[in-house]
Amino acid sequence: MKIITWYGILTIGDDGVTECEPFNKDVDELAELLLQKDVVAYFPGSGFDIRTVAIECGFVENDEEYNSLLRDVSIRAAKLQISRTNTPDMQIIQAVEALDDIDDVVNVLSERLSEWYGLHFPELGLSSESLVRFVSEFGSRNNVPAEHPMFEKATSSMGSELPSADEELIKGFASNACDLYDSRHNIEASIVRNMEKMAPNVTLITGSLIGARLISMTGGLARLSQLPSSTVQVMGANRALFKHLRGRAPSPKHGIIFNNPLVKNSPWWQRGKIARALAAKISLAARMDVYSGELHPEIKVNLEKKVNSIKAANPKPPIKQKPAGKGYKGKNKGGER
Amino acid sequence: MDVNEISEGIFEVRKGGKKILATKNANPGSNVYGENLLEEEGEEYRAWDARRSKLAAMVLKKMKVPIKSDSRVLYLGAASGTTVSHVSDMLPNGIVYAVEFSPRTMRELIQLCDTRSNIVPILADASRPKLYAHIVEQVDVIFQDVAQPNQAQIAAVNAEQFLKEDGHLLLSIKARSIDTVANPSKVFKEEVNKLEKDFDTQFNIIKKHDLAPFHEDHLGLVAKKKLKEN
Repeated sequence: MKIITWYGILTIGDDGVTECEPFNKDVDELAELLLQKDVVAYFPGSGFDIRTVAIECGFVENDEEYNSLLRDVSIRAAKLQISRTNTPDMQIIQAVEALDDIDDVVNVLSERLSEWYGLHFPELGLSSESLVRFVSEFGSRNNVPAEHPMFEKATSSMGSELPSADEELIKGFASNACDLYDSRHNIEASIVRNMEKMAPNVTLITGSLIGARLISMTGGLARLSQLPSSTVQVMGANRALFKHLRGRAPSPKHGIIFNNPLVKNSPWWQRGKIARALAAKISLAARMDVYSGELHPEIKVNLEKKVNSIKAANPKPPIKQKPAGKGYKGKNKGGER
Repeated sequence: MDVNEISEGIFEVRKGGKKILATKNANPGSNVYGENLLEEEGEEYRAWDARRSKLAAMVLKKMKVPIKSDSRVLYLGAASGTTVSHVSDMLPNGIVYAVEFSPRTMRELIQLCDTRSNIVPILADASRPKLYAHIVEQVDVIFQDVAQPNQAQIAAVNAEQFLKEDGHLLLSIKARSIDTVANPSKVFKEEVNKLEKDFDTQFNIIKKHDLAPFHEDHLGLVAKKKLKEN
């Protein structure tokens, strides 16, 4: 019987080790060998001590050498493994998270700007990105040119004057927020590019941003492809799902995939069915992306056929029935956190 | 300030009326996760917070820790290495195999390994010991802190593969990771039962203790392998 250890291949006879073929005593080589996939088939039986054999067959001289060599090899191997886990989908996951972070920050900033700038020019009526762009371009309302649509409002504003020191401050603040919006657009564009390259089928079915979000939530394209599509369907509806599992609500019909226009723009009684069809196709698409990587346009055609047949079969809203579910007593808003 | 060795490699440093659990710093001059360094009689000690380490909590609960200066330890669920660093302190002539599944936390663990001479990092799933059986030798102690629903099984398969006949298993059971809603004491009973009977490798429980108030709903266990009848 042969077994594989980190330092060599051992042949085991009836009365112990009969042959020992040590590997080269080179840290890099040993680290690569450590990560080989077929060790499971040749693992030492339980109770077999690989250290004693390493010393007996002369691979190392003593315990100290065994310890320090094994340590160096393992550290090298673990570092290799970690650098290999940094796959393209890790980039996408971080990009999606960054997008959410920027959204949080930028909302807070633009709201502050709206309050602050409102002292000076309350009639402006802009918010979020357009407000931020306006302020960082003009600063004081006195700088708005005559051909600008806001010119009239600016000249007749009831707001207080903006001293030039404050104008500098508020302009700087707005231009920082502007940079964040720019950065957001760049990240979004890069997600679109990477998704088309890495997951063309998922992108085709549900768009790059929802696809990227699904990948981010599951922790990778490969993980997404292994999930049942019922999970894909409700992913992102965690609160609703757990409420349902505790028997206090009907099951959620859609999670993050609600944002797909097919679901979102359909009447409410078709959404659950369409979400289910869409989730099924997302699962298939993810598997195509992982295992073949080629674009299969017919999957989109099939989805559209399916959606049309759902729409044809359910043209009218059903009469609402009492929802099923153990202990469910009508709508339970609040109370359950 | 005076120092009292309460178990091999584990010290109690008295400082201003307070007793501080500590280990002797194997890498003097630097700390690992922001813990205090204590100087005494030319030796440097690292304070060991029981709220951050199940093993430290077990020590404070007067459970005997069977780790010696030359022990070989298999540590399952090493995380970013907070406790592993103290185990490493306790083993001037020994070695600890630190198994961790998450590449993200392994990144931090490796930085610790770089500063210590006796930690062997292994990026692998602790429930599949065959995947690292070509690296890990027969060990004196298995310490397990994995917070997985099948933690009893993980302990059994690893003990079968790696634990010496007279070796010890140290286990921290987290009730919440087995059943989030059940009564913890019921979960503990079932888990102890599993360890004693369910798997090929069975255990005799030597000592068990609730780890509150340091860790809520955690049970610390010390066990030995039941010798197999042939």
